[in-house]
Amino acid sequence: MGKLGFYFDMEACIGCRTCQMACKDKNNSDINVLFRRVKSFETGVYPKPDAYNYSGSCNHCSEAKCVQGCPTGAMHYAEDGTVQQNKDKCIGCQYCVWNCPYGAPQYIEKSGVVGKCDSCKDLRDNGENPACVNACIMRILHFGDLDELKQKYGPNLVNELPILPIASVTQPSLVVKPKSCSSDRNYREKEV
Amino acid sequence: MANLLDKAREMMISRRKFLGLSATAATGAALLTLPGCGLSKLDANEATALANKEGTWISAACWHNCGGRCLNKALVVDGVVIRQKTDDTHEDSPDYPQQRGCLRGRAQRQQVFGADRLKYPMKRKHWQPGGGDKSLRGKDEWERISWDEALTYIADELKRVKKDYGNRSILHIGGWNSQITEMSRTLGLYGGYTEYWNTNSFGSWSMTPKTVGFWQLGVWDQTVNDRYDLRNCDTIIMLSMNPAWSAMGSSSWHYWQAKKAGAKFIGIDPYYNSTYSSFGAEWVPIRPSTDTVLLLALAYVLLTQDHPVLNPLIDWEFLNKCTIGFDADHMPEGEDPKGNFKDYILGTYDGLPKTPEWASEICGVDKVQIEQLALEFGKNKKVAFLCGMASARTRNADNLPQLIMTIGAMTGHMGKSGHMTGSTMHATSGNGGPALVNAGSNGLPGIANPIDDTINANQIWDAVLDGKYNFTGKGSFVSADQYQPGKMRDIDIHIIYHSGGAILQTSDGMTKGIEAHRKVDLVVSHSQFLTTNSKYADIVLPVTTEWEKFGGFLGGTLVHSGNREMILMYSQITEPLYEAKSDQWIAMEIAKKLGIKEKEVYPFGEKQQFFNALSSITVVNEDGETYGPLVTITQEDIDKLGVTGKPQTGKITYSEFKEKGVYQVKRYQGDNYGYIAFKDFVQDPENNKLSSESGKLEIYSKKLADTINNMGFSKIKPIPSYIKVVGGYEDTFKDWGNKVKDEYPYQVITPHYLRRSHTVFDNVKWLQEAWVNPVYLNTKDAADNGIAEGDTVLITSAYGKILRKACLTECMRPGVIALPHGAWVDIDEKTGVDTGGADNILSGQVPTGQGVSGFNTGIVKIEKHIQTKLIPDVEKPARIIL
Repeated sequence: MGKLGFYFDMEACIGCRTCQMACKDKNNSDINVLFRRVKSFETGVYPKPDAYNYSGSCNHCSEAKCVQGCPTGAMHYAEDGTVQQNKDKCIGCQYCVWNCPYGAPQYIEKSGVVGKCDSCKDLRDNGENPACVNACIMRILHFGDLDELKQKYGPNLVNELPILPIASVTQPSLVVKPKSCSSDRNYREKEV
Repeated sequence: MANLLDKAREMMISRRKFLGLSATAATGAALLTLPGCGLSKLDANEATALANKEGTWISAACWHNCGGRCLNKALVVDGVVIRQKTDDTHEDSPDYPQQRGCLRGRAQRQQVFGADRLKYPMKRKHWQPGGGDKSLRGKDEWERISWDEALTYIADELKRVKKDYGNRSILHIGGWNSQITEMSRTLGLYGGYTEYWNTNSFGSWSMTPKTVGFWQLGVWDQTVNDRYDLRNCDTIIMLSMNPAWSAMGSSSWHYWQAKKAGAKFIGIDPYYNSTYSSFGAEWVPIRPSTDTVLLLALAYVLLTQDHPVLNPLIDWEFLNKCTIGFDADHMPEGEDPKGNFKDYILGTYDGLPKTPEWASEICGVDKVQIEQLALEFGKNKKVAFLCGMASARTRNADNLPQLIMTIGAMTGHMGKSGHMTGSTMHATSGNGGPALVNAGSNGLPGIANPIDDTINANQIWDAVLDGKYNFTGKGSFVSADQYQPGKMRDIDIHIIYHSGGAILQTSDGMTKGIEAHRKVDLVVSHSQFLTTNSKYADIVLPVTTEWEKFGGFLGGTLVHSGNREMILMYSQITEPLYEAKSDQWIAMEIAKKLGIKEKEVYPFGEKQQFFNALSSITVVNEDGETYGPLVTITQEDIDKLGVTGKPQTGKITYSEFKEKGVYQVKRYQGDNYGYIAFKDFVQDPENNKLSSESGKLEIYSKKLADTINNMGFSKIKPIPSYIKVVGGYEDTFKDWGNKVKDEYPYQVITPHYLRRSHTVFDNVKWLQEAWVNPVYLNTKDAADNGIAEGDTVLITSAYGKILRKACLTECMRPGVIALPHGAWVDIDEKTGVDTGGADNILSGQVPTGQGVSGFNTGIVKIEKHIQTKLIPDVEKPARIIL
């Protein structure tokens, strides 16, 4: 049994942001708060450009900096190994916001505390998938045992890319099927 | 807004209404951007409390003209919608997919319960019967009025205008067709109204396909095979299409199955869009409005490089058997044999062979790439030649569908597995074939419009302002009667009545449109928000959304309604919000004030209409040919609904249908539901005649040319041929020969955009955040104009000016800019510049051919704008009125 985490097939992602919206709906997130966020990138030059999208959320890392740096213990590992947050313990100090290289925890001004992707633990405890997974119209987001996901979707899966931090820092529970252009270090993020 | 709940209590509204209002409060929490919204304090606790309670999932309408049709469900707890989801009614597989919805559907509750919902009937402060200060339309203050006041004003003005000027002076607009809205019933019974017509999304696919025989199953976009057969293609060549943005639901996933099965993708487009980049398509970067030129050159390459043994490209047997007009030997009787297509391509008589060199100068595609592209079409490959209709939403493109057909016919990509040619778009994109579930009918008898005046979109505002237009018949773009010989008519419009749609926003020439709205005596608008139609109106009537209605159905037809495999049934989610009323109620109440009996307008009520539609749905049997009733209805169901009807037996009970919200035919490999377009025709053309006069695919169509030339907008030939496009690439030059650019050096296209569905949803903050709505500029073009990423760009055409932030991209062809379609206009009255980025501020009223709206034909200049700061759309205050 491996860690639990997300699988993302970048090759088939059309960048529609339905996962992002499903997450927003599930978490009733304010504007400027996105626990899952799709970003679009471009490589190459005309007339041979290429483009790819990345749908990212909390990676429920093995070496989660948010957990390590949390002074109150609000950020913690749940029994299933995912990184969870006890909102009652959060004091809004934002150490986790600064520590996470993925930008997953986000400070919510209105409530004065931090929030982040909890991998829809309430749904999963009921035997359901995270909202983003069941929303994806290309069926390319999955959540589960990373070893099983690797076996099912491997072998060329990665957990780091030029657009992502070095994986060794936090050991993200993430597997991505990359698109070939996503290995290009000369990428440009686009607000489409 | 701050004291909304107090107001609600004051009104002593019912408990259920109150709960509807609470729902607004709950989503208000998410809408942090609501300025001065005091509700957020209330609902943080409320939302948490609700989240811990058991709720009910109710099938919710997702009813927009979005390019998809999907299952949407709302989790309702104590009358408040706290979350949404999509189809999970069965296991999901590529062969039998769930009907999953997109981000817009996921944000539906943000729209329905938006703080900017119109709450009451409103009157513009300085309007009075006869018009008042008309120049203030769009900038006046609003006053709340009662329903009775609003309806009385409207009825009195209708009476006055009818008496003084006649029914012709009432312009009734209901979206794409004036006859589809509820008010058309009332106004029809009141003596009629002038209609509006346009070619909408279809451009020259409106009339051309049926005339030339490129037409299957009674519509223009079912000439492609079903989605299983897509997986048999070697090559999928896409001409100006982007299902990733314009056909949500499962379409992109269907295309992906073809990709997984090994298909190669090619995209011919000015923009290397999300579909092409996702599918790794080879890009053929073409200039807008020049597809005809490219395709003519493809025909040239095919003709000149074809060799029966060494290089078999052309399917001569197909041409011989299935087409007319290709060469001199196959011309229709009585026509000059010299007018054939082949000799035109080779330049036999005009001395101008349509070579890749010739085409390249205009369309911008390298001549070598044109040659390579032509070879991809070779007859021995399994090719799907697909297009959306964007390339036909251009001026002077009336022969384009015919030319696409011609290329498909030359290469024999029709009527066989793995071969297909034609347009495929919207909810049926990539999945042709007859509807396996047929929607029912509500049983309401139609009410005719006794007036025949019908004004084309390209003349509508000029007609209001100048009092004349070219009448070409009536019946809307789907009817042959709409394309009659043109006759100039005088017209004197005094009332503009918008009973639905968003035509001021979505029709050509919005600047003129605003001027026209400021001319008439009265503008009425039904809407849910202060849309563009309503912003420039005098009396605005708040209408319910589909979530506030008893229920209904979506899908079950092929045109803009759903995919062929399913039908959706939705139920009521909330009571009408605030004072919103249904369009039907409004139509009835105005009728009463006009002295028309209620029963004449609606012989029976909305529940009976619902039942009639429910009981008349049919579904295919396993033989794939015969159909039977879909829904099993018991006497108990009928009694409970309180309607008249008979019990019946079908394939799903009413209660299960209601609970699931969808009935989907289970497709599987080897089922009887597959579809190969033109199969019967290709096998036996003589006994399976097509819709053209000859019954064949008409590469030469005298009827097409005569019909269009007699309409009087512009001229075409019976064969596809090069026509210089009004406002096209050539018009970006003042000296074509020496290539000296003119005032408007860039071409502009207006792609569909995932923030919204045409204009719908553009006000939803969650969607504004997800899709920021920039203008896309090629990096080099931007640099040439001193524009950097994120800079504000002033885009100017001969018709108007807009501002947008720049998104610099290598995915745009240089010389072309892309402005997402459908943003709500937001004019700065001091400068006259639209800060909303509305595409139709840049478009003009220029009718060509069959009356096509040339949304993708336009020329502009671009400049860096530093005078004012453009506020991101998501940070703009919502339009909360009263």
